Amino acid sequence: MEILWSRGESNVRDVAELVDRPLAYTTVMTTLDRLFKKGLLDRRKLERAFIYTPRLSRQDWERQCAGELVAGFLAGPGQSGELLISCFLDNVGHDAALLDALERKIKMKRKELEGRNS
Amino acid sequence: MTPSYLSRLLLLSNASFFVVMMFFGALVAWMTPAAIRRTCAMGPRRAARWLLTLRLLPAALSAIVVAGLCVPSYLRFEPHISNEEAGLVSLSAAILGAAICGLAIYRGFTALLRSTLYLRRAGGRGSIVNGEKVWIVRDGAGLALAGVMRPRLLISEGALAGLSSDELAVALRHEHSHLESGDNLKRLLIQLAPPVFPGLRRLEREWVKRAEWAADDEATGGNPQRSAALAAALVRVARLQTSAAIPELVTSLVAADEDLAQRVDRLLEAPALAEAANRRFEAIVFASGALLIGGLAMNLRLVHVLLEHFLD
Repeated sequence: MEILWSRGESNVRDVAELVDRPLAYTTVMTTLDRLFKKGLLDRRKLERAFIYTPRLSRQDWERQCAGELVAGFLAGPGQSGELLISCFLDNVGHDAALLDALERKIKMKRKELEGRNS
Repeated sequence: MTPSYLSRLLLLSNASFFVVMMFFGALVAWMTPAAIRRTCAMGPRRAARWLLTLRLLPAALSAIVVAGLCVPSYLRFEPHISNEEAGLVSLSAAILGAAICGLAIYRGFTALLRSTLYLRRAGGRGSIVNGEKVWIVRDGAGLALAGVMRPRLLISEGALAGLSSDELAVALRHEHSHLESGDNLKRLLIQLAPPVFPGLRRLEREWVKRAEWAADDEATGGNPQRSAALAAALVRVARLQTSAAIPELVTSLVAADEDLAQRVDRLLEAPALAEAANRRFEAIVFASGALLIGGLAMNLRLVHVLLEHFLD
């Protein structure tokens, strides 16, 4: 999928050449065929080879995956929804207000240093 | 129960390991608050060395006592045919000692595995940035040093695009300092020494903090402009990060749970010069340990008598 997203329309040979480890032509062909059957790729025949294109952009695909994950959690029993929300909060990272305050402090210090140098 | 010659050796080794580990672990845990207070007056590199030495001391001494005293004295003086029985206390100590060894191996192995998987998942392409060999990755912890044997300096595309040239240069110097001081290997040693008392965990957290400060000082070299640039880089990278777990053997420029404000204030207020290398403390600890172990090794029969009493 990564190769098709970055390269666009490609045949089996193109993909096989760009995979980061050596894979047999038939392995790549089978994988692309499975992705087509799962509805992730479109394909058309050009001469004797299939040309594959991703059906969804990376962003749409990631959104769809996230949506399915969230829906699965919310439909789960008991506290699944609460667990999901607490997990989101845990992963927010550093406090944005604190980072803003630190950034202001650094800017002031840099200005002070520039003033001292000029 | 009358165990065989080799089983007795195994039992004695594990039990001795447990007893020495508990004794020195309790001693170090008791000393921890005072030791941390003492390191406040030291430069960060020296403080980090103190804290790491204390953190590893119980496990290291236990391993040395077993390998250097218990096993040789047993092999030399214990008769092959013996009908000595193992007491309940020594048996319990041996089981606990084996459990600690198992835990150490598990922690070391899983840490290595997680770090390897992290590197494999990060992938990336090799490049040279500011004369430093780096791996540019799509996502990740902004800037991080990953791996133990052949550590890789990883930089995310976001960090590469978001940092100015002076910020990037000083951030890379910071990571290079971790690389030079072998901090990922030290992290692995910590994993191999389970914290049997809470004080040991506190020493570990303090070591992480001082190691970061030391790398900050070595990267900035006391230059106020470089210090401000590093502070700015820390905040920018922190914005790119989530608190998603970073494996134990990955040293990130900004750890998700660290006190970033304290580190930034330190950089802005008093840019410190990197300290000159001084390994006097390690030399004293090493020499004292060597003297004690050497003294006992000269009298292996005494060690054997002590162990006999313990086994009974």
